[in-house]
Amino acid sequence: MKKRGRGIATIMFGFGYGEGFPDHSIAAIEIKEQGPILVKTAAADVGQGVLTVLTQIAAEVLRVAPDRIVLSAGDTALTKNAGSTSATRQTYFTGSAVQKAAEGVLALLYHYGSLALHCNHPELVVKDGRVYRYDRPDHFMSYQELARLAHEKGELLQAEASFFPRTDAPDPETGQGERVYVAYTFMTQIAEVEVDTATGLVEVLRFDTALDLGKALNPQAVEGQIEGGTVMGMGMALMEEQVIKAGITLNPDLTGYLIPTALDCPPFYSRLVENKDAAGPFGAKGIGEPVTIGATPALANAIYAAIGIRFFELPITPDKIIKALRQEQGTNG
Amino acid sequence: MQIRLTVNGEERVVETTATTRLLDLLRTDLKLTGTKEGCGKGECGACTVLLNGQLVASCLLLAPQADRAEIITIEGIGSAEGLDPIQESYLEAGAVQCGFCTPGMILASKKLLEENPRPTVEEIRRGLSGNLCRCTGYHKIIAAVRLSAQKMADKGEGKDE
Repeated sequence: MKKRGRGIATIMFGFGYGEGFPDHSIAAIEIKEQGPILVKTAAADVGQGVLTVLTQIAAEVLRVAPDRIVLSAGDTALTKNAGSTSATRQTYFTGSAVQKAAEGVLALLYHYGSLALHCNHPELVVKDGRVYRYDRPDHFMSYQELARLAHEKGELLQAEASFFPRTDAPDPETGQGERVYVAYTFMTQIAEVEVDTATGLVEVLRFDTALDLGKALNPQAVEGQIEGGTVMGMGMALMEEQVIKAGITLNPDLTGYLIPTALDCPPFYSRLVENKDAAGPFGAKGIGEPVTIGATPALANAIYAAIGIRFFELPITPDKIIKALRQEQGTNG
Repeated sequence: MQIRLTVNGEERVVETTATTRLLDLLRTDLKLTGTKEGCGKGECGACTVLLNGQLVASCLLLAPQADRAEIITIEGIGSAEGLDPIQESYLEAGAVQCGFCTPGMILASKKLLEENPRPTVEEIRRGLSGNLCRCTGYHKIIAAVRLSAQKMADKGEGKDE
């Protein structure tokens, strides 16, 4: 028999290292006499899309199209510490550092622009890679020409910025603190499943997600992260199990250690809740880990709703489901 | 030993050994690094290429097995200036995250759409089930294949007119 059930999970997640650790990120942006605008960051993109988002942030602040920006990501000769791609922190931390560096460069564009065009900065328009006076739009200087002007003075059209927010260690007695994390992300997920009571197989029919992320800088990438994270949580709930015996992993391969395939994954319906309550770039918060965490309890609850059995050990594999169903039958019979 | 094969429409004569994997011939000898090595044991699909029109895991084939064969790798699909409709669709649907599974996914998508130009979602899932992805959740990859089918159908209809 196939039985359906729905389960819900709600989480809150404090991101960044928090708890008083010196978590921070440094970024720099340089405009040269030729070529695109260079964003120097050590932030590592492992598929979550931070480099796309950093490009967008720099382009937005500097008022140019994103294709005018290049990143020197991962080049340790050019970059300073951006911290780890972990703790759901890169958009918030490096995004903020890039935003501040871009604001520094924007101020320099006004500075050199007012020198070159002999006016006060409120009289200037800085837009689409050009600087000009409101009353003389045809008489413009490009950002690159202003870089040359800076170089003639022995200066660089470059700004470096750090984002270094304070957090507090929680009280060891009470666990409380004034600002233990920089901000919190909130999420609710609902999983719908169908459990085959003959085989123990769990089919995930759909996942609905509502994610309060402050501001979605790139909604398509956010959806991608929700879907990917949820599928990792689904793997943890239903199939992923490292078998270790005497210190040796017995299933160090993808035949013995199963991860979800295209056949296992449901359709996703995601709602992005833009409630700007934090000081991230344009109000954005981190979402990486939150979206991997809710799926597992939501699925355990959905399985409970379908067959009335609670599982306290992951993954909830078909053999565990069959065994539990038989035990229950035995008890009832 | 010497083998002769056609790679992305170009005839190549390559000096190789009996124990060289096709994957290494492509990546190391021919410098076609678009084909990725994931698990190295035929489980993940990252090294997928087309051999005489069939999807194969290039990590499981020895280079001499590709003697006189016709190979298509990701480098043979579209170009930076003129993307294949499948590649276009992957970009538009947001189906690329870290990108490591993408070359294999695109070749599997191509093969699927050649055999079945209007697949259902279930058929797409089945067609891509040999290719693992760890960061997208597959939803947008499936959407990309549906979009590709639409684009290719629109193009085909355009040709008939």
